[in-house]
Order: sequence, then C-alpha cells, then structure tokens
Amino acid sequence: MTDGLGRRVVLARPPRRIVAIFASNTEMLAAIGALDRVVGVEAYTRFPPEVQGLPLVGGRLGFSAEAIARLEADLVVMTPARNAAHALTEPMSRIGVPTLVVTHRDLPQIFANLRLLGMATGQETVAEALVARLEARLDAVRMRLAGRAPVRVFMETSSTGRGVFGTIRPGSYSFDAVRLAGGESVFPDVSPNGPPLVSGEAILRADPDFYLVAGRPDQAAEVPHRTGFAALSAVRGGRVHVVSRAQFLIPGPRVVDGVENLARLLHGEAA
Amino acid sequence: MIAWLLPPLGLLAGLMLGAVTLTPAEALSLLADPVQPLGQLLWQWRLPRVLAAGCVGALLALGGAVFQGVFRNPLAEPYLLGSAGGAAVGATVALLVALPLPQWLALPLLAFCGAWGATWLVLALARLADGTSIAALLLAGVAVAALLGAVRSFLMLALSDETVSLQAVLAWALGGVQTPSWRELAVLAALTAAALGLCLALARGLDLLGLGEAVAESFGLPVRRFVALAVLAGAFVVAVSVVWGGLVGFVGLMAPHLARWTSGPLHRGLLPRAAAIGAGLAMLCDGAARALLPPAEIPLGLVTAAIGAPFFLLVLAREARRG
Repeated sequence: MTDGLGRRVVLARPPRRIVAIFASNTEMLAAIGALDRVVGVEAYTRFPPEVQGLPLVGGRLGFSAEAIARLEADLVVMTPARNAAHALTEPMSRIGVPTLVVTHRDLPQIFANLRLLGMATGQETVAEALVARLEARLDAVRMRLAGRAPVRVFMETSSTGRGVFGTIRPGSYSFDAVRLAGGESVFPDVSPNGPPLVSGEAILRADPDFYLVAGRPDQAAEVPHRTGFAALSAVRGGRVHVVSRAQFLIPGPRVVDGVENLARLLHGEAA
Repeated sequence: MIAWLLPPLGLLAGLMLGAVTLTPAEALSLLADPVQPLGQLLWQWRLPRVLAAGCVGALLALGGAVFQGVFRNPLAEPYLLGSAGGAAVGATVALLVALPLPQWLALPLLAFCGAWGATWLVLALARLADGTSIAALLLAGVAVAALLGAVRSFLMLALSDETVSLQAVLAWALGGVQTPSWRELAVLAALTAAALGLCLALARGLDLLGLGEAVAESFGLPVRRFVALAVLAGAFVVAVSVVWGGLVGFVGLMAPHLARWTSGPLHRGLLPRAAAIGAGLAMLCDGAARALLPPAEIPLGLVTAAIGAPFFLLVLAREARRG
C-alpha cells in the first residue's frame, strides 16, 4: 500500500491490535467494522462511545511511542498533525510496527482513506460498500438541490478572542461539504496554504446570508453581541446557526451527515 | 512638533488601511455618510479599533517612559523587563483555568499581578548582579522572559482544549488589538487618561531620580518608596495595555526615545509626548497589520517587533559607544 506521505507500507498479515491516533482515524476504522481491533486511542477521541475507557497513547502533551509499544500494537494509523507523524513513524519503524499515515485534504481523499484502511485491515468489501452508500447519499443531496442558487455563508471554526476568526478554505473537505450542501463560502479566496483566518472587518464587509458557528451554542449566542456584528444580514434575519464540529471538522464518514443537515438548514424542505 | 503630528497621521492611516484599503478622501466621505454599508463598517468596527490601538500604544509608551526613568536605563521597556510577559502569564491563567472570579475581573487582576511580580523579579535579579549596569538588567530581563515564556507555553499545552482557548492565548502572545464597542472604548480611554495623570504625578520624582539616588534623597525624595510606587504604577499601565492589546513589544521602547529626542529628558514634557508618539505608532502598525494580508490579519506584535528590533539595536549601539 502507499500511504498519505507516499510511503510504501507492507503488512505481513491483517493487523489485530491497532492504535488510532486522532478522532477521524478511529471513526473510519469503526465505520469499516474494525473497531474491535482498536486497542489504543488519544485523549481527544470521543466517538464512537465504545472507545471510552480504551488505553490512551497521548493527548495534550504529545504521543508516547512507549505506550504504543506496551499495547503490543501491530499497526498505528495516524494523520500528519500535532507532530504525530514526525514523533511516531521513526520509533515505530525501529521496533518493527508498521505505521499508516493518512492525509485528508478534500472529500475524495476521505473516501480514499476509507478504502485504504479497508485494504489495510482486510475489510475491503465493507469499506467499498460504505463508500458507495456515502456517495449515493451525496448524489441524492445534489439531485434535490439541482437548480437552486447557492447560499452565501460564513463558517466560523474558531476565534482568537481578538477579533480574528478561523474559517474553512478552498481545497478542504469542510469547504467541499459546504458547497455540496448548497452553500458557498463568502471567502472563496482564502489561501489554501496561508492561515485560515479572517478579520472581523472582512466578515462585516462580506455580509454573509448565513452565519454558521462550528462549535457550542453559547459561542453562536455571542455572535450578535460582538462589536458591529448586529448589523450583519445573517444576524438581523436570525440566521446565525450552530453546526456540529464533528460533522464538519473531523474528516470521517460523519461529514456526509453534515452535508445533509446543512442542506436542510440552508434550503429547508427542498433539501 | 512631530510628536503631535503622529496621532492624527496614525488615525488617518488606520482609517484608510484594512481588509479594504481606502483613499483619505474615500475614508472621510464614508465617515460622513454612515448609512452606506462601508461607512457603517468604518464607524462600527474600524474607528473604535484604531482608537483602541492608539490607547494601547499610549499606555505602552507611558509604561516604557516610567520604567526607563525609574531604572535610569534607556533599554528598559515593558516587554524586555518581563512585565508584559508576566501580564501575559497572568492572562493565560485567567483564560485557561476555571477561577472563582468572573473573567472580566480575573483577566485584568491576574495580568496586573503578573506584570508587577515579574518586574520586581527582574529588578531584584539585576540588583543581585549589578544594579546600575545595563547588561545586568537586560540579562535579568532575558532570563525572566525565557522563564515566563516557558511557563506560558506549558500552560498552553497542558490546559487548553483543541481549538478555542489555545488560539485565544496564542493571539495574546502575538499581540493584537481587540475591537471594542464604543462603551468599552470609553472605559479604555478613561483608563488611558488616568494612566497619563498617574505618570505625570511621578514626573518630578523621575526627574530627581535621574540625577542619582543620593541627590534625589537630598532633595527630599524617599527613593525606595518612590521606586516601589513607580513600579506599581508602571505595572498597572502595562497590565491595562496587555488586557486590550496582548503582548506588543518595542512600542514602549521606541516612543519614549523618540519623545526624548524631540522634547529633552524632563518627564513633564516627555510623558505626554511619548504617549502621543506611542499612540501614533501603534495606530500605524495596527493599520499595517490589518492591511498587509487581507482578509486575514497579521498579529500586531509581529509588526512592532519587525520595526522595533532594529531600533533596539540602534539604541544599544549608541549606549555602547557612550560607554
């Protein structure tokens, strides 16, 4: 197999004890029916509920190669974020534990990752059927929205607390999801490589029709109270909504739930 | 003269620069026509932000001028003395630790305690080595700043959740002015005016201290008490600036120097000029921070560091030549 870093990964036999670093990888393994082989996760993994209580191999302060070794893992699946790939691939290769690094820039890559993990775990058929189902659901949304004009949205993914906000950028699966749900980001030109941040001033200037907060309800409730934000069309029209972080910011199968839910939010019964 | 020109210049530049850059004529005509969306934007967002940047700059300059006077050291400034770093550690604790205090109170209170404690620590360490030397103060400042940086980094790693808190603390550390509502701006402006009054009350003492501790004592200045009071006042001023602007380095160094070059060393004239120059500089730098990479913003602290670090080296070279 070739993983997300372009490395050749050879597995002598299907793995029985898998450590999954990052929530998305655990979710994908669960979706292809390999959750019972997951023996370790990291502290931010909360879904599916069965992972609660599994041994942790890292979290806020990094990841422990020793903890993974102690779990006698025979495959580590990870994503090149929070220094995980850098910190783990080398020690794992020294002790002979194969590592599979998956990348997930856009939606097609998420589907490719499901197939890749299916191949790695011997669950090719299950993974293939899952991807077909997910693609069919997206096609159904696309059909229902055919002919409808896209709605201008701003999706806030984080806040610095200093008047600068994180948002989605082109080339990402979150951006794909918003587009498939019949929306269009008011910032289509945020650089795919630069910081995914926009100033409050730029948001006021763009004046989106829908203001989506990928976060908690109290974060959305705060939006109209920010300086100047009461003048936004979305605020005046009562179109500030919370969307699920899990459905838009975790690159797993739940992104398709996010597309369906957001399509209903933006286009009502038609979607 | 230049001191009084900088604030209106900074204000105008601040109004022109942003996610959309305007000509001076456009900016002024839009301000006169607040019904237009862009005019509304200028009134609701850009103008309060620019004025808040001005207040933050003025506060940093006052803090710098007081510290330079009290330590009789031309390189003393809130950032290098650890007081800004101390304030940031206090603010980090307030942002990340659940305290039995509301955040609007916890933030300034802990920022003040951090600023005050860190300044005293630097001062005590410098005195241990050699209280009068520039090198001792600088090295103590570097050591304490490194320690505070490590404490803040650890707190960020250990206490933040995946997204919100970490970004908030990082934004603090890199500096950046928060856009206030008009009411909040009024509070900030009142605090800035109070800070100027407080610093002016210290002016005579700072002048006497400049003549040396023995001479100051002979003129009837209770030196130890005065230094303690001045450090407390400086920490208060810095804490207010950090609450609103995060860690913004070098304005507190540059503004008093530029003021001294134009008005001489007497603090009664120096302090208001330093505040005006600090306000103008911060408004200019904040405008640049908003306009250089739209629709994103560059953190203000990065812009001031890019300008301030060469200035610092210039001052250091002058002092070294002077011996």
